Amino acid sequence: MGIYIVKRILLTIPLLIIISFITFVLINLSPLDPAVVVLQAQEVPQITEELIAQTNQALGFDQPFMIQYVNWIMAVVQLDFGNSYVSGEPVWSLMGPAFMNTLKLTLVSSVFIIALSILLGVICAMREGKLLDRSVRGVSFFLTAMPSYWLAAMMIWYFSVKLDLLPTSGMDSYRSYILPVIVITVSYTGIYFRTVRSSMLSNMNEDYVLYARASGLSEKKVTLHILRNSLQVAVSIFCMAIPIVLGSTVVIENVFAWPGLGRLSVKSILSRDFPIIQAYVLMLAVTFVLFNTLSDIINAAMNPRLRKEF
Amino acid sequence: MKKGLTFTSILLLVSAIALLAGCGQSPKEKESAQTEPANSQVQTELIYASSKDINDMNPHLYTGSMPAQGMVYESLVENTPDGIKPLLAESWDISEDGKTYTFHLRQDVKFHDGEPFNAEAVKQNIDAVQANAEKHAWIKLSTKITSVKVIDEHTMELTLSEAYYPALVELSMTRPYVFISPKDFKDDGTKDGVSGFHGTGPYKLTAHKVEENATFEANEDYWGGAPAIKKITSKVLPAGETTFLALQKGEINFVFTDDRGADSIDVEAMDQLAESGDYQVVRSEAMNTSMIVANSSREDSPVQETAVREALWVGIDRETISKDIFNGTQTVADTLFSANVNYAKVDLKKREYDPELAKNLLDQAGWTLTDGEVVRKKNGQPLAMKLYYDSNSSSQKIQAELIQYSMKELGIQLEILGEESTSIANRRATGEYDLLFNQTWGLAYDPQSTIAAFTSDSAYKHTTSGIAEADELYQKIDAVMVSTDEASRQSLYADIMKIVHDEALFIPITNGRVTVVAPENLDGISFKQTQYELPFEQMNFKYIN
Repeated sequence: MGIYIVKRILLTIPLLIIISFITFVLINLSPLDPAVVVLQAQEVPQITEELIAQTNQALGFDQPFMIQYVNWIMAVVQLDFGNSYVSGEPVWSLMGPAFMNTLKLTLVSSVFIIALSILLGVICAMREGKLLDRSVRGVSFFLTAMPSYWLAAMMIWYFSVKLDLLPTSGMDSYRSYILPVIVITVSYTGIYFRTVRSSMLSNMNEDYVLYARASGLSEKKVTLHILRNSLQVAVSIFCMAIPIVLGSTVVIENVFAWPGLGRLSVKSILSRDFPIIQAYVLMLAVTFVLFNTLSDIINAAMNPRLRKEF
Repeated sequence: MKKGLTFTSILLLVSAIALLAGCGQSPKEKESAQTEPANSQVQTELIYASSKDINDMNPHLYTGSMPAQGMVYESLVENTPDGIKPLLAESWDISEDGKTYTFHLRQDVKFHDGEPFNAEAVKQNIDAVQANAEKHAWIKLSTKITSVKVIDEHTMELTLSEAYYPALVELSMTRPYVFISPKDFKDDGTKDGVSGFHGTGPYKLTAHKVEENATFEANEDYWGGAPAIKKITSKVLPAGETTFLALQKGEINFVFTDDRGADSIDVEAMDQLAESGDYQVVRSEAMNTSMIVANSSREDSPVQETAVREALWVGIDRETISKDIFNGTQTVADTLFSANVNYAKVDLKKREYDPELAKNLLDQAGWTLTDGEVVRKKNGQPLAMKLYYDSNSSSQKIQAELIQYSMKELGIQLEILGEESTSIANRRATGEYDLLFNQTWGLAYDPQSTIAAFTSDSAYKHTTSGIAEADELYQKIDAVMVSTDEASRQSLYADIMKIVHDEALFIPITNGRVTVVAPENLDGISFKQTQYELPFEQMNFKYIN
């Protein structure tokens, strides 16, 4: 197992290098002169030739492309993403707090998504085709199809303005979490509980279930057995739920004025604050790679056959 | 596995508790707990929504929020509808040759950190601005200051390389010639950042949570008297629905037009708030002109012909744009500068909406429509142009679509393209456009800033350089900026405005105004000469509910 983990982790390194290179190249494909971008981001009212030359030199944009990339990646390895074009502050000092805020929202939501998905998935599988199963699926289909910004606006209107129970936006206390977490949970649970449900159903038809029943195991124990096996499939999907939610809070954060990564990235994209955009893209990619690796490792731990195949 | 299920049930229990905790209090309990402090807060406190964080409040750079900087920092003089008035300078003398300005400073002014505001502080600040002169190239004064001298504790002298009449106007702007306590300087300057934000203004910045909110408290020692509104909070909220809901709930109670002149909630939402009786909507007079800029220097483009530009002008139904797109919140503009801009009371021929005239103009210029065709042609070249608009502005997109439709009727093929504002600025600088949306600098800056931009490569040089009178235009612009004589300035500006008007280079659409949504019992709402700041210190609540 130890060898598997080491191998699996080593394999991520070339992948991360490729991702970093693509990130850097993509952003440098912009047809605009990078110095002009910096100056526009700083909202300098009028950009002169002298200023452009001065900025190019100061920020090293006059160097060859590969040297710029190597300099950047060497700094990135030390967690130095450079300074924001707009504020001049280190990218990490802006990304750090925003990342933590988004992570809090993501973790709380993920816990709810996973718990609810398992619960609803199991219940629906046990009652396959019955009214309960059909109605849960119907409601979830309806909720998943609803645009999350619309759902968010309706919730704010009802719970914050009409009933005056919760704040409309911001991140002041635990009460601020309630509405965004509900909206995120509602949007994703519908997708994930189906996976649990269908995985449960396919397991129910396996031979081992028949065998377990035949050998006189109680129905409760049989169900737990099925659940255990079904969750193996679900583990990898749940592992990916965290980076997916992390990367898709943009809409929610904008509606709820949540000071997180989604807001920061939109703001940076609009002002072309490239160092932040690069750090954001890279960080999301790394999160995906890491959670993917994690899900592989968990799966391998649960299923020895996977280790051998590797 | 039993453990797993227990875990799930604990989670569900926790979630239920969390939800109950939020909803648990009965509505009545809630009311007594929240409404009272909220109500008393409302009476001395304004909480405004801003789509942007206040950012770096260094007054000598350009990323900070202007309304916030306007509360904290002050300039030597103030620009008002009645001309330049004293602010931190009580009076000033200008030498005969127009090159030396001697300012007599107020003696009762202190920075927020207690440091005295004196001639030395003024000198250090202006020197700090000049040390970063490249960044301030847009403000012509920065290229003309040769020295700042301290005469005595409260007198300082500013020497220019040549006479420059808009000097006082440029000294009155929100930035960069405003003053921060020299104790906040880093490495004896401000270009690499500052360590604090202590100005001399009516409000002090007391707290700032990045991307969340910023708090400004009244400066009780303010030389102009402590302001009545004791606390102002700037809360970062996305424009639109959330802001509207937060206003309805009373979490914020003040909204105004943003830096780019866009309202944070739409006209219907404003009306709804006003009808509720809790809010009032106040609009300023015309602040700037939104317009379509025509590139006269573009080779092979029909837009280089005066007749085509004129046809575009008379072919645009500005009345409909003002009424249907802006619900009357922006008024029809007939000239580049509205009449309340200095020197802009010039008699220019009015071009009304007249599609027939547009067709005649095009026919006369040789752009004719053959039977069965929809686009006019001249020597085989179709009458086709591209119009660029800011993709983040919903109103510009609708305007562009309307204009495109009107042009089709005239036999002009107009392609409309939405782009980021930075890329539009880039097109303007490189000349890669036929037509694009833009706006004048605004009351406090005009006419000099917009007109100075006519000659600038990164601004309107491409727009203006294709006309026959280009050289004459540029000479007059150079002359007006150094003229010391009021009458000659008046006549030079009139000539400049006439040239660009007759050539139809800047096709005016509407005049933008600043909109404020404020509590119904807030008094003293007024405006400055810029759309970027509001005089909060003059506001007060009429009565307590």
